[in-house]
Amino acid sequence: MAKPTLLWLQSITCNGNAHSFLNHPDLFSILSHFELVYHPVLETPYSLEVLNQKMLGCDILILEGSFKSKGVQKAGVEVLEVVEHYAKKAKHIITAGTCATFGGMFKAYDPENIAGFCYNEEEKTSRYENYASKLISLPGCPIHPKWLSYVLMMLSQKKSIPLDEMHRPQELYNITVHTGCSRNEYFEWKVDTKGFGLKEGCLFYEQGCQGPFTRGSCNKILWNDTSSKTIVGTPCFGCTEPSFPKTALFSTKTNMGIPANMPLGVPRRAYLTATGIAKSFKIKRFEERIIDYED
Amino acid sequence: MKIKQLIEKIEGEAELDFIFENGKVEDVQINFGFYRGIEDILVKKDPRDALVITPRVCGICNHAHLLAAVRALEEGYSHAGVEVNISSKANDIREFTLACELIQNHTKWFYMTILPQLEKLLKEQSGENHALKASFLSSKITKALAIFAGQWPHSSYAVPGGVTCDPTYVDVMQAQSLIEECIRFFEQMMTEMSFENYLAQSSLSSLHKIGGDFGRVLQLMGMNEMAQKGYSYDRFIVFGTCMFSKPGKSLATTVSNVDVRYVEESLQEGSVAKAVHYKQKFYEVGPLARAMVAKEPLIKSLHKRYKDSLLTRVFARVHEIALLLDYSKQLLHHLVLDEPSCTLPKAVELSDFEGVGVVEAARGSLIHKTSVKEGKIANYEIIVPTQWNLSNGSQTEKGIATKAMLGSTTTQEASFIFKAFDVCSVCTTQ
Repeated sequence: MAKPTLLWLQSITCNGNAHSFLNHPDLFSILSHFELVYHPVLETPYSLEVLNQKMLGCDILILEGSFKSKGVQKAGVEVLEVVEHYAKKAKHIITAGTCATFGGMFKAYDPENIAGFCYNEEEKTSRYENYASKLISLPGCPIHPKWLSYVLMMLSQKKSIPLDEMHRPQELYNITVHTGCSRNEYFEWKVDTKGFGLKEGCLFYEQGCQGPFTRGSCNKILWNDTSSKTIVGTPCFGCTEPSFPKTALFSTKTNMGIPANMPLGVPRRAYLTATGIAKSFKIKRFEERIIDYED
Repeated sequence: MKIKQLIEKIEGEAELDFIFENGKVEDVQINFGFYRGIEDILVKKDPRDALVITPRVCGICNHAHLLAAVRALEEGYSHAGVEVNISSKANDIREFTLACELIQNHTKWFYMTILPQLEKLLKEQSGENHALKASFLSSKITKALAIFAGQWPHSSYAVPGGVTCDPTYVDVMQAQSLIEECIRFFEQMMTEMSFENYLAQSSLSSLHKIGGDFGRVLQLMGMNEMAQKGYSYDRFIVFGTCMFSKPGKSLATTVSNVDVRYVEESLQEGSVAKAVHYKQKFYEVGPLARAMVAKEPLIKSLHKRYKDSLLTRVFARVHEIALLLDYSKQLLHHLVLDEPSCTLPKAVELSDFEGVGVVEAARGSLIHKTSVKEGKIANYEIIVPTQWNLSNGSQTEKGIATKAMLGSTTTQEASFIFKAFDVCSVCTTQ
């Protein structure tokens, strides 16, 4: 049986999603299930000029980058026009990364005219209705290579992927970045970190960590098979969310000393009650350094 | 005769307009497409947001942007009276992760651009999947990077005062094994030579012993007179103090000092990329420039014989992989963990400052300039390496890459010379 054809097309992008996926340790095993027709970095049998003639097959379309209705051209042809042609043809459309999904980083330059393919932040674009039936949203800046390989492998085996209301796979986005974070004990007992550069303490209270209210499995399926932002003490910036990028990313927004954003789905009253109890205890282990390197 | 050629898969695209006369390239106009406006996006943002926003300039050299951004902030703080002294631990970790990114970049360029394009140009196809090797090496080396930086691409782990990570020796040992894996790759796949023997080479007489994929490229290039092609001005510049690089410029055999204040940008007609020059002159940046300014012995002898030819340029970039692997290994070996990771644990509240951050990225010197007023970014400038190498030139002289392509007998060969600069379209159109 012929392998499904796969096209990877770019619009306004940094190439970060393409490079993130190139780091996948099983890259070529995954690609072996498809006929790769066009890719922005890997060698493919057809050039961009041939692609622009709109003659190629397209079963699965991967989109990278945000979209502008006019003025973004490749080889003299409007990118969106080519993308829409192949999108109509495709059986599945994967928006790879936050730019293609919601508009992302590059939307900020011209917010009136730049958006994701089917979403403009949380709003549906006019394109949405045409493609909703085959849309899979994979936000993340950049996309996690294993999130994409999961989707591709499921599609190649014709298995159905449970999606949420924004077409994101539930298996990847129905947990938060907080799930599996190595600092969870400190969150439970409301112990904040004493500053950057420490393995002890939680980054949610002062350093701006958005992990508890950001959808994604960064701490369940680790980055580069080894780590994540929060493990290495960098706050989660909410890069999978329609609102990415917000501003003042290294400090927590607070209302009267309480984080302004609650953990996903947690009522403020529940959070305050749990916090009050946790904070009423002082637990020695959480005030100490984990490892003492001094002689 | 004017010939238009679209160059793709160079982190985006570029359009080359060749003027072809008497069977030779007489002139080339290099055009880059869509401007994405990162510098504008940064305006009115919190100064530290640059650590998250600027890596998004580029999917392949994002880490260099992060480090340039953090250096710009630190320099700005120091100018405003808040002295920033990062620990040697933090400095070594930053150096290590930057070196990893360069190794990733150079290896991808070698296996995904140079090797396949050279085969195509010379009709010497091996039928091998070179990208498989690139992906193998890249996934290993970025894993080593991510042990400290959390992820690649798009980490923001460098913050004013140091790094956010607080590694243990468990992390260091893992990173060491990964570097050893990469060294084995360099030995078995790229050179068919022991790493020790490779590094011990100091003269051209032993270069024929290099085997593997690098040996094959050298042989193909040598047989096709690529040591006599692709000459530019033989003028090199380096601004970053990092890894084994020191700032300076190299002209003929003389290396002299540089000052980043004399770097100037100018608009170019027909392209969204700005030209960049130093005291009205164009300079080549990148691994060859770094080696020339640092007087790296093997590259110096190669240059003595073959000047700034295509062969020298390609050799210098691959050679830098070995130097970087060796450097990374040393850094990890000497890394001491009982120092603070970050010496500015709390946010510095400064309403007005200006700072410049420079690092050596894969393709050459990368400069970030931040200007902060009333606590927000008022102006941000990013000068990328590709702007140095690929400017179209001025009224008095042609740009570096244009000069290198002149006299080429086919547009295919000229495009190969162009790609040997390791072009990054997305950086250039930030």
